[in-house]
Amino acid sequence: MKPPSFRYFAARSADEAVGLLAEHGAGARVLAGGQSLVQEMNARRVAPEVLVDVNPAAELAFVRQENGTLSIGALTRTSQVESDATLDGSLTGLREAAARVGHVAVRNRGTVGGNLAHADPAANLPPVMLALDAEVVARGSGGDRSISAANFFLGPHRTALAPAELLTEVRLPLPPEGAGSAFIEVSRRDRGWGIAGAAAVVALDREGGISDARIGLSGVGPTAVRARPAEEVVIGERPSAELWKAAAGAAAAALDAPPSDVHASGRYRRHLAGVLVARALAAAADRAERRN
Amino acid sequence: MHQEDIVIVTLKVNGVERPLAVEPRRLLCDALREDLGLTGTNLGCEQGVCGSCTVLVDGESVRSCLMFAVQAGGCEITTVEGLASGETLHPLQAAFWEKQALQCGFCTPGFLMAGVELLRRNPEPDEAGVRAALAGNTCRCTGYEHIVDAVLAAADGAARERTFAEEPEVDVAAEVVAREGR
Amino acid sequence: MSQPRSWRGKAGRTMETQERRWIGRDLKRREDPALVTGKARFTNDVSLPGMLHAAVLRSPHAHARILSIDADAARELPGVHAVLTGRDALELIDPVPCFAAEPVEERAIAVEKVRYNGEAVVAVAADSRYVAEDALGRVRVEWETLEPVADAEAAMEPGAPLVHENLDSNVVYDQTFTFGDVEGDFARADRVIRRRLRWPRAAPAPMEPSGAVCAYDSAAGRMDVWSNTNMLNFVAWTIAGTLKMPPHRVNFHPMYTGGSFGSKHVLGKQVAIAGALSKATGRPVKFMEDRADNLMANDSQGPERVYDAELAVTDEGDLLSLRLHTVDDYGAYFMFAITGNTNMMAQISGPYTISSVETGIKAVLTNKNQQTVFRGAGSDVGNWVLERLVDAAANELGLDGIELRRKNFIQPDQFPYKIPTGNVYDSGNYPAVLELALGHADLDHWRAEQERARAEGRYIGIGIATAQQRSTYFSTEFWFHNPAPATGLTTSPESVRIGIGPTGGLTVTMFSPFWGNSPETVVSQVVAEEFGVDPEEVAVDYDSTMHGLPSAGPGGSRMTVMLSGAVRGAAAKVKKKMFDIAAHLLEASPDDLELADGRVWVKGFPVEERSLSIADIGMKAYWHKLELPEGMEGGLEGSYTYDHPYASMPSDDRTDLGAFYPIMGHACHVAVVEVDAETGRVEFLKYLAAHDVGTVVNPRSLQGQIRGGIAQGIGIALYEEVRYGPEGENLSASLDEYLLPGAPDVPRVEVLHHETPSPFTEYGVKGGGEGGRMVAPPAVTRAVEDALSPLGVKIGALPITPEKILTLTQGREA
Repeated sequence: MKPPSFRYFAARSADEAVGLLAEHGAGARVLAGGQSLVQEMNARRVAPEVLVDVNPAAELAFVRQENGTLSIGALTRTSQVESDATLDGSLTGLREAAARVGHVAVRNRGTVGGNLAHADPAANLPPVMLALDAEVVARGSGGDRSISAANFFLGPHRTALAPAELLTEVRLPLPPEGAGSAFIEVSRRDRGWGIAGAAAVVALDREGGISDARIGLSGVGPTAVRARPAEEVVIGERPSAELWKAAAGAAAAALDAPPSDVHASGRYRRHLAGVLVARALAAAADRAERRN
Repeated sequence: MHQEDIVIVTLKVNGVERPLAVEPRRLLCDALREDLGLTGTNLGCEQGVCGSCTVLVDGESVRSCLMFAVQAGGCEITTVEGLASGETLHPLQAAFWEKQALQCGFCTPGFLMAGVELLRRNPEPDEAGVRAALAGNTCRCTGYEHIVDAVLAAADGAARERTFAEEPEVDVAAEVVAREGR
Repeated sequence: MSQPRSWRGKAGRTMETQERRWIGRDLKRREDPALVTGKARFTNDVSLPGMLHAAVLRSPHAHARILSIDADAARELPGVHAVLTGRDALELIDPVPCFAAEPVEERAIAVEKVRYNGEAVVAVAADSRYVAEDALGRVRVEWETLEPVADAEAAMEPGAPLVHENLDSNVVYDQTFTFGDVEGDFARADRVIRRRLRWPRAAPAPMEPSGAVCAYDSAAGRMDVWSNTNMLNFVAWTIAGTLKMPPHRVNFHPMYTGGSFGSKHVLGKQVAIAGALSKATGRPVKFMEDRADNLMANDSQGPERVYDAELAVTDEGDLLSLRLHTVDDYGAYFMFAITGNTNMMAQISGPYTISSVETGIKAVLTNKNQQTVFRGAGSDVGNWVLERLVDAAANELGLDGIELRRKNFIQPDQFPYKIPTGNVYDSGNYPAVLELALGHADLDHWRAEQERARAEGRYIGIGIATAQQRSTYFSTEFWFHNPAPATGLTTSPESVRIGIGPTGGLTVTMFSPFWGNSPETVVSQVVAEEFGVDPEEVAVDYDSTMHGLPSAGPGGSRMTVMLSGAVRGAAAKVKKKMFDIAAHLLEASPDDLELADGRVWVKGFPVEERSLSIADIGMKAYWHKLELPEGMEGGLEGSYTYDHPYASMPSDDRTDLGAFYPIMGHACHVAVVEVDAETGRVEFLKYLAAHDVGTVVNPRSLQGQIRGGIAQGIGIALYEEVRYGPEGENLSASLDEYLLPGAPDVPRVEVLHHETPSPFTEYGVKGGGEGGRMVAPPAVTRAVEDALSPLGVKIGALPITPEKILTLTQGREA
C-alpha cells in the first residue's frame, strides 16, 4: 500500500521544527527516521496532514559525554549508537539494545529520538532509558523542559510530549564507575521484533556486593516498565545464580497483565520476563565484576 | 493533486543527477522504479520488512519503501543498476552468479545492496556476521546458504586483491634493463 | 505387478549407461546475469502507454452481507477512471476458474456477500496506485455482519452458519478410501500407535506477490495479459472464460516469476480484476498485489489439518497398516477441490512396505482465504504424519528409530513397487540413502554431546526422517476422489521447439515461464548433450499462449523431467532431418552417420571433408532446397510435446487410483538442535540431507532447491502459521506477523546425492523441487522432541513456537 497525501516541511533546526509544529497544530507529525511512521502511513493506519521532516536539522545528531552525563541528540541514528565504541564499559547494554533494533537498514535511518517518541511497548531503547534513569528533553515554543524517562512513557504510542513539542535529546547520568549493563531480548526469530526484552545496570561495591541495580523491561506491559521488585531483591546482596532466580520470580510476579498477541500470550511473556531479568542481571553483574 | 503539492527534487542516482517533480508522499522506491525506470529495485512488502527494496543512500542501506523521494534530494543513491561497470559485474554480483546465490532473483537486488554495505563496513566478516547483517533481507528460495557463501567469497576475493596490492610492485622495465645489461 | 490401463508406459526401457558431457555438471545458471543486474523483467516492471493502476478494497469482515455500496465519492476523485463493485463487474467477467466438481462459485469481486476477511469488494483503476488507494478510502459499504465460522470444528456443528448457502453443509466433501485389508491388518497387529496431529495453515509467500497487467483492445477483440501466473498454456483458456473472451483471443505473455511455491498456478482473480478494469476503461491496467493483499487473499494457503492417525504394528516392529482420518479446513472456496489430500495418496505409506491404508477426508469450508497448494501440496503433511507415527512406534516398542525404518523399507529389488493406493514407485534404494546419510551424520559424536549436555541441564536432540518426494504429477489427482469420470485436466504435457538457423545457431523455445528454478539452464544442458555443442551457444526463449504448444507448466516437481523429455523428443526430430540432409550430401546412409562435437560424421571416417557442420546443414536447409533430398520441406526445426512418461487411469471403483505420481524420489534428513528450555528457542547444531532424485542434471541448482526447501520446512516446523482470530480476522497480514525464517535462523545444510535413475524418464531424471520442504518438518520435529525427551515431551502440533515448548515442558497441553 501507498501513503496518503500530506504537506511536507523540511526543518533545518530544532527551533524551525518547533515553529512548524506550533503553526500546523494537531495534524502535524514529526518525521525522523520514518521506520515506524512511514510503515504506518503505508498501511494507511495514520494520515498526518503535515509532516515536519527533522532530518535536515543536523544539530540534533550527536553523542556527547561531559560532566558525568551522556547526551544523545534525538536525530542520532540507532546505528551510530550501535557502533559507538566510546559507550563501552558501563553502557554496553545501550549498545546491545541499539544493535538489536530492527535490522541494519532500519538502524541506518531509525533515530534514538524516534524510537523513544514512538513509544512502542516492545521497542528496545525505552527499557534501557528506564534502567539508566534517563531524562528526555522536549522543546516547545516556550523553551526546553526535561521529563524523566519514568514519566515519559504513558501508554502504547503515548508519551508526555505535548503535540507541538519536539524531543530533542536524551540525557543519561553515567552509571557509577565499575557498573555493568546488559540488554537481552527474546524474539521469535533470531532477529526482529522482540517478544520481550530486559535491560539491567548493576553496580558493585568494593566487597563485590550489589550497591545498585536497575532493570527495565520491554514487551510486557502497555509501556516499558521498571522491575523495581526485582531490584529490591538484589540490592545489598552478593551476585549468585540463586539471587538472579529470586529476582526473576519477583519481576515476573509483579507484572500487571502482560499483553498477548499473535506471537505469544501474556502468560508466556510473564515467564520470559523472569528469565530475561535473571540473564540480564547475570550479564550486567559479570561485566561489573570484570571491570572492578 | 494540486500543482502546489508538487515538489521538485533532484536525485543523484548511480552518479547521474535526475530532477523529478513528485508529490511529497511519493516513496523513494516508486520514484526510482516508475519515474526513473530503474525497475531492478523490487517491492516485496511495502511494510518495511522484507528488504527487497533496499538501496544505498549516501553509502548506507535504506529501505526505499520507508523513505520519501523528497527526503533524498542531494543524496547519492545507488541501486542494483549502478553496481556493474559496463559489462563487468561488481565482484559481489559475480560471486552471486558463481555461487548460485539466487533462484527467482526477486530479492537479489536487495541482498546485493545489503552485502555491498556490509563488505564496506567490515571487509572480512565471519559467517555469523554475514548472517546477522543480512537478517533484514528475506529470501524465500535459497535457504540463504549460497548467499552467505557468495558474500564470503566476495570478501575473500577482495582480501586476496588487497594482499597482492601490498606486495612490492615490480618494475618490469627496470628488471628487463638489469637482466639484459642495458 | 499388474497395471490398470497403461498410459504410455516405457517400463521396459533399460537404463542408459553412456557417458554424459553436459548433464550432471555444475554449470552456472544462464538466468542469473539478468537477475543480478536488475534487468530481468517482472510483472510489476511492465509499463505500457496509458497504463492505469488498480487497487482493491478488501472486506474487514470474515462473513457479511453487502447491503449497499456508495462509490460516488470515489468516482469523483480526479485521476480515478473506473470503480467496479462486484455487481458492476458482472457484465465484464464471469466466475473465476474452479476445478472442483462441487458447486462452489467464486468471483474476483464479491457480489452479495463476503466469505473471508480480505475478500475483494471494490476494484479501482486510477492514474497511480496512490490515487487508487485514495479512492478506496472514499467508498462506503453498508454491511450486515453474519456470524463467522472461524474454524473447521465449529463449521461442522449442526446449525453452523453456512459459508455457501447453496450447499446444505459446510462439509463440502466427506469420504473414506480403503486400500487393501485394513481391518485384517489392524486385527493382526500386536499394537496400534495412536496420535492426534495438527498441521498449521501456512502461506507460500514468495517474495514477489501475484499480479497482472491486462490490455484490452476492443477493436481487435483481443486481450494481452502480462502476468506471473505460471500455468499459462494449461489454464489460460479457463481464465479467458472468466474474462468472457474466446481463448484464442487472449494472449498470455510469459513473465519472469519471483517465486511461486504453488501460489501462482492459476491467477484467475488477479487477471480478472485487471482485465475487468481494462475492459471498463479501454486502457491497460496493472493490478499487483501488495503483501497485505497476498497474505489475505492470494488463494494459496496450505492445508490446516487435524489427524486422528493410527499405525498398526507388530511387537517385532513390522509396520502393517495405516489409518488416517482428517478434518481439513479449506477456507471459503474450493478451487482445487481436495487436491492435497489426493496428492499425498501418491506416497501415503512412505518408503515402507505398509500393506493397507485407510484414509478418511472431511473437507470443511470456513470463513478464511481458501486453501489450494503450497510446495509439497499435502504430501508434506503426509510425510510428517507418517514419520510422527513411526517415531511414536519406535518409542512405544522400545526400538531404535533407525532400525525400525531399515526393517520396513521397500527393498531395491522390489521396484517398480505398487503401494496400496495404486500409485507406483518407479525405482529407489532407500537403504543406500540412509547409509549415505548416516555415514556423514556422526551420530556417535552427537549422542555423546547429547549425554554431556543433559548432565549440564541442556537439551540437545537428534531427529531423523526418511521420506518420499513424489515427482511428475498426472492430473488424475485433481478428480479421482469423485466417482464421475473427469473432464478437463487429463495428461499434463510439456513442449519445446528447437530451431536451427542458417548459421547453425540453436534456439529452444519453451512455453512455460521462468518461475525461480533453472529452466533455461536445464534446457541448454540437455540440448548441448543432444547436439554436442556448448550450452552457452544455445539460445533459449519463451513464447506466449497465442504461439504456444501444449504445456502444463511448473508444479508437482515435474519440469526437469518434462523439459528433458520434450527437448530429447524435439532433438530427435531435428537430428533425423539433419541426418537425412547430410546423408544426401555426403552420399552415405543416414544409419552410417553420427553427431559429435557439432558435426555430422560418417562413422569410421573421422575426416573433416567427409563431415558437415551443423551450420553447413542449417544453411542448406534454409536456403538451398534444390540440394535437399527429393521432396523434403525446407527449414530445420522440430517441436515435441512430451506427455507424462508413465501413468495409468484409476479403476472405476477407485480401489486402485492408478499410477499418478510414479517418479519417486526419496530423502533422509538428519537434524541436530539445542533447545533452550527456559525460553523455548531452538537452535540448529547440524543439518544433513541425503536425496535421491535420480539422475542429477545440475547439482548446484538442485542443492539450491533442497536447501531452500529445507528453510521452508524449518519455517513450518518453527515459525510459520497463518492465524485467524475468533471473528475470522486475519492476524497474519504482514511479514511481521507471518514469520519467514531469516539468514540467522537457517543452518548450513550438508547435501548428499544418491542417484537411482528412473527407468521411465529420459536420462533417468526425477523431480526434486519440493523434497526439502517435504522432509524437513518431521526431522526438525523429532529433533526437538528428542531434545526434550527427558521432560516427557511429545510434539503433535506445528509450528513449535517458543511458547509451545514452554507449555509442553511444563506438562500442559500445547
